[in-house]
Amino acid sequence: MKNGLTRRGFLKGIGAAAAAGGMSFSGLAKLAAAPARRYQGLPTLVYMFPGGVQADVARVQDALNAIAAERIGATIELRAVDWGAYDTQISLINASGEAYDLAFTAPWINNYYTNIGQEYLAGIGDLLPELAPNYYASMTQDTWNAARVGGDIYGGINQQIFVKPFGPYIRSDVLEAIGLADAFNSMTSYADLEPILAAVKEFADSDDTLTHATSNLAPLSIAENWGFDPILQYLVVKGTDESAQVQIYTQTDEFAQAVETIRRWYLAGYAPSDVQQWTEMDAAWQAGQIAVRVADIVKPGGNAEVAARWGWDVTSRALVEPMLTTGGVIATLNGVGSVSANPELAVRYLELVNTDPLFYNTLCKGIQGVHWDWEDEAQGLIRPAGGAASFADTGYNPNTDWMFGNVFNAYYTDPSQVGAWPETAELNRNARSSPVLGFTFDGSNVQTELASISAVSREYADPLGSGVVEDVAAGLATLNQAMLDAGIERVRDEIQSQVDAWKASRA
Amino acid sequence: MTTPHQQLLARRQRDTDLLLNWISRFSLHLVIIILAVLCLIPLLLIVSASFTDEIALTRNGYQLVPSQFSTEAYALIFRNPGTIVRAYMVTIFVTGFGTIISLTIMSLLAYALSRPDFVLRKPISLIVFFTMLFNGGIVPYYILMTQYLRVQDTLFALLLPYFVVAYYVLILRTYFAALPAELIEAARMDGASELRIFWSIALPLAKPALATIGLFTALSYWNDWTTSLYFIRDANLYPLQYLLYIIQSNAQAMQLQATVGTINMGEVPTQTARMAMAVLATGPAALIFLFFQRYLVRGVTLGAFK
Repeated sequence: MKNGLTRRGFLKGIGAAAAAGGMSFSGLAKLAAAPARRYQGLPTLVYMFPGGVQADVARVQDALNAIAAERIGATIELRAVDWGAYDTQISLINASGEAYDLAFTAPWINNYYTNIGQEYLAGIGDLLPELAPNYYASMTQDTWNAARVGGDIYGGINQQIFVKPFGPYIRSDVLEAIGLADAFNSMTSYADLEPILAAVKEFADSDDTLTHATSNLAPLSIAENWGFDPILQYLVVKGTDESAQVQIYTQTDEFAQAVETIRRWYLAGYAPSDVQQWTEMDAAWQAGQIAVRVADIVKPGGNAEVAARWGWDVTSRALVEPMLTTGGVIATLNGVGSVSANPELAVRYLELVNTDPLFYNTLCKGIQGVHWDWEDEAQGLIRPAGGAASFADTGYNPNTDWMFGNVFNAYYTDPSQVGAWPETAELNRNARSSPVLGFTFDGSNVQTELASISAVSREYADPLGSGVVEDVAAGLATLNQAMLDAGIERVRDEIQSQVDAWKASRA
Repeated sequence: MTTPHQQLLARRQRDTDLLLNWISRFSLHLVIIILAVLCLIPLLLIVSASFTDEIALTRNGYQLVPSQFSTEAYALIFRNPGTIVRAYMVTIFVTGFGTIISLTIMSLLAYALSRPDFVLRKPISLIVFFTMLFNGGIVPYYILMTQYLRVQDTLFALLLPYFVVAYYVLILRTYFAALPAELIEAARMDGASELRIFWSIALPLAKPALATIGLFTALSYWNDWTTSLYFIRDANLYPLQYLLYIIQSNAQAMQLQATVGTINMGEVPTQTARMAMAVLATGPAALIFLFFQRYLVRGVTLGAFK
């Protein structure tokens, strides 16, 4: 009886929910109605990018359109798709032939090369110099060549840090406690890091919270640490090698040295004996259990960024000469959809967003007086508007400046950042160009080998890179044999022949 | 007449029986209790972790009793309560309304297919069965939904995919077919219309089957997030599971591209918040299951009686 009553009550609840849902249904009509057009007759450019929909996006869009209508004779529609959905939705949109004008693309999300192969992106190499002259002139030919595939450019490059000067980060308070600040700041190679790690470990033994010097040694085996440009993870070209000989990374002396160092440091107890995931590593930082990140990108403003992320003041030092690589340059691109009705306007938009600081910052930070106010206009430093505690509380904070355009035009949001952009631009400008800058590899002939190599990598290279393999020399030999069996030489020869053809075409 | 000695023996026998009975029961219960505990511990760990302080969780690891009690994770999720309440509303509506409509359509279809005197029985059964073996794949599905039906960014997009599930139709058809033909014949003799026979005779008898299929359908609606992944861009129409997926995957995406540019990791939900999300998502589903459990057990075992 009691049971029956409860059940009926439950059904009643469902009925009520259905009634409530009926109200949501009226929301359908609202969605179907097109938004009122203020700029009638002007074409609208649809811009797809990953990110959460911001509360105030309509207001920001209006502010952007006021500029865009006048400057390029078009309005834009910002279509943010959540990070987790972007890859799926954009690939469905592409496959079904749905039109959009601009989309964020990169080798790591909405894959640039797949989009080119499937002809989802329009070639804009001829349009750029004509319709986006200032933007096109703001980067060197070498840089633009990095985005070139089969002779054409399929995406506008966002200027940001192109180089990856790797080096260690250390918590400033720990560095001070062990009294090795001078030693840290004068390091020239990873070998110099060893005594510092030893001192941190000693300090950790007497400290309650700090458990280990670092949590993960694997980043030390990344090829960029040793002056290579990785065309693929294990197929690299030495930055100083003008003849551009493709090498198998695991066969190089540098890799052997890296894994030997990692094993030695592992045995010395600088990292926990159970290998940790990256996510756990972040948690360990936040909890104050570790004090060193052995190898990460050291960039202007990087210390402030890490401090914001992990809550600790840090000191860092780059140990690798910065190098311009294809991968670094094309990490962030905005492409023009191949079914776009207005590709010329889309390229004009790229000019606008990359060269007009007001337009760009409105897109990145919102409207002055509504979402941000000047803290110091001369320095280009802003603060959240209306006494909001952080930019996250202002109603518009996509927080992805690097996705929209030239970050060197972005306003600073933290005093410690001031000056980071010219410094970064300087770093990019003075960096050595990789001998294969502008080369992109087409792996379609060696798909099977690439899959086997990735399996071998997980089975043999990852354990070596984390220091758990007891006999490093034997482990290295096994790894290299497995790599040979997986067909890595075929891949190397394929890359080499493509590199040679690419070099010949440039000469 | 029994001697005291015989009485004693009998009582001993009884005691031994009782003891044996008790031991066998106890050991059975013990096994089941251990199994139940094994199933419960992971759930309890999640609940406990969701109430643990973030830093304490990293330092002490997962524990059954929070090492340092904190409701910070729930505060983080409910910092923007509108979003999660809306997502609950969407999910509850889609689950409730969708299940009712889907049961109506599927039982009507299954009943018609179960009647031997229905002329189109074979061709329609074939069509239903055919969709179980072959389908167009994701891109035609997407094109159909967005360019022909134009349901993207509406609740219809969430409802449509589970209105008719071929497999459930076949189960229901089998169930209806097992009802005695004489019952239907008798009803017709009494002057009942087809609809009336369906409504007053077939449906009440099929309650256990309907409850089982209803539960399955409700769970499909409740747990579905892929449909939203394909068709929903309007954050106001996010169902609960998809909202949780989005929160989670946004955090992963940010970690993935942390090296690309300046990212404020302060916004990323923490380990404890993930656990809190899991608790919020599974809690209500578990409740629904409790309500339907009785029917479910009956429905599942029903085939065995024949």
